Amino acid sequence: MIIQDRPNPIGELLIVLEYWDHIFAGFLLTMWLYVWALMMGFFLGLILANLRQYGGWFLSRISTGYIEFIRGTPLLAQLFFIYFLPSSLNIPVGDWKIETSFIILNKDITIILLDYRTLAGLLALGLNSAAYQAEYFRGAIISVGTGQLMAAQSIGMSRIAGIRHIVLPQALRRVIPAWSNEAAYLPKYTVVVYFIGVKDLFSQAHRTVAFTFISLTTYVLIAIIFLVTITLISKGLDILHKKTMIPGL
Amino acid sequence: MQVLKGVSFELGEGEVKVVFGPSGSGKSTLLRCINMLSPPDKGEVYLRGQNIKAPEVNINEMRARIGMVFQHFNLFAHLKAIDNVSIGLRRVKGFPKEEAREKALEVLDSVKMDEWADRYPAELSGGQQQRVGIARALAMDPDVILFDEPTSALDPELIGEVLQVMLDLAKSGTTMIVVTHEMGFAKAVASEMIFLGEGVIIERGTPEHFFISPKSERVQNFLQQLDVLYGSHEKLLK
Repeated sequence: MIIQDRPNPIGELLIVLEYWDHIFAGFLLTMWLYVWALMMGFFLGLILANLRQYGGWFLSRISTGYIEFIRGTPLLAQLFFIYFLPSSLNIPVGDWKIETSFIILNKDITIILLDYRTLAGLLALGLNSAAYQAEYFRGAIISVGTGQLMAAQSIGMSRIAGIRHIVLPQALRRVIPAWSNEAAYLPKYTVVVYFIGVKDLFSQAHRTVAFTFISLTTYVLIAIIFLVTITLISKGLDILHKKTMIPGL
Repeated sequence: MQVLKGVSFELGEGEVKVVFGPSGSGKSTLLRCINMLSPPDKGEVYLRGQNIKAPEVNINEMRARIGMVFQHFNLFAHLKAIDNVSIGLRRVKGFPKEEAREKALEVLDSVKMDEWADRYPAELSGGQQQRVGIARALAMDPDVILFDEPTSALDPELIGEVLQVMLDLAKSGTTMIVVTHEMGFAKAVASEMIFLGEGVIIERGTPEHFFISPKSERVQNFLQQLDVLYGSHEKLLK
């Protein structure tokens, strides 16, 4: 007679949770990557959108070219390109790192905030996100309409001042619902750094599986962590959208 | 495509020039050429003897002296009425915040919109928005104000309040170029009227000239059509 062990999800979860410090460290690193990449993408994307919209013949083509190149190639390929570029050019990347440690519930948690791998990951994610964010911003800028900038110029504001004080404040309000797409996508995109050995949430999950041999429960747990995080982000942006709404519109 | 051909006129201090004509005749383009929002390929614009297209001229400074009121108001949607009026004072003229606010309130008062100072454009009626639009232009103390069909996007019952403000301005000596089909307004205050068709001046003259004895058939037909729409001009002449 064959006795089949029934999987016990609760028991498995308890075993997986014994590695909570790894998973927590991975989560913190994922969020760290996410926040910086999103911010880098925000500012660079804003610049790209403005160049594409207002930059004139040359700069708008440069910006469009960048956006189409990034959107047309795989993120993983972009990551590998950045990661391997220095060594293939014989540029030493150095063995350096900035890390932080703290103790929670008697567990020592160490996170590498920045080293060569993390930097490559951050750059790839930020440069990639910028292209997508740029198109959200450009859409919002177009939706504000040319009449606003014309009115700004008619009272003597320079084109740049009109963009800065009249167009962008409106475009940034309008962009929030569409832009929340990027804010919700990016945490999941960060998992590509697993391939270059950054210890993010996904990589820590993989490690936990290696220790426990419990794969499904571990990955479901990771999925739930992403789900909760992204739901909170979406909700936060929804509140921001409502709070910044222009009265009467 | 050439929109305006050989259009040339002078506007004296305190004069009101009314430009009218069929759509597509270049009326709005003419106004946008004057403040260089659509810089003309050829031709010059002089403001108090200064060629505003000259390379040494800062076009932003010139535009601050040429007010503009738009058909669709173009109020800054994210700013309250008061801030729509004061932003030019602050960002262009460098007024301190409090002074800009005081002056903006005064100007809003002159268009009877001071009560609505803290409302956003979307909370105002079209007529109210346009009066804020006029206040925004006025606040800069411009040498001349360009009006681009200021009442044609308004519901009929809101036109009066805007025209009243414009009449008051004209009577108080504001120099204005007004693109409009409000012939009553033209009759009341225009020092000269210009009929534009396909980018050329077809006929120009005083309101009396236009309403009593327009020369060209185009103008006669056009005025007749306005009669059908808005009633006879005979009444306006009294």
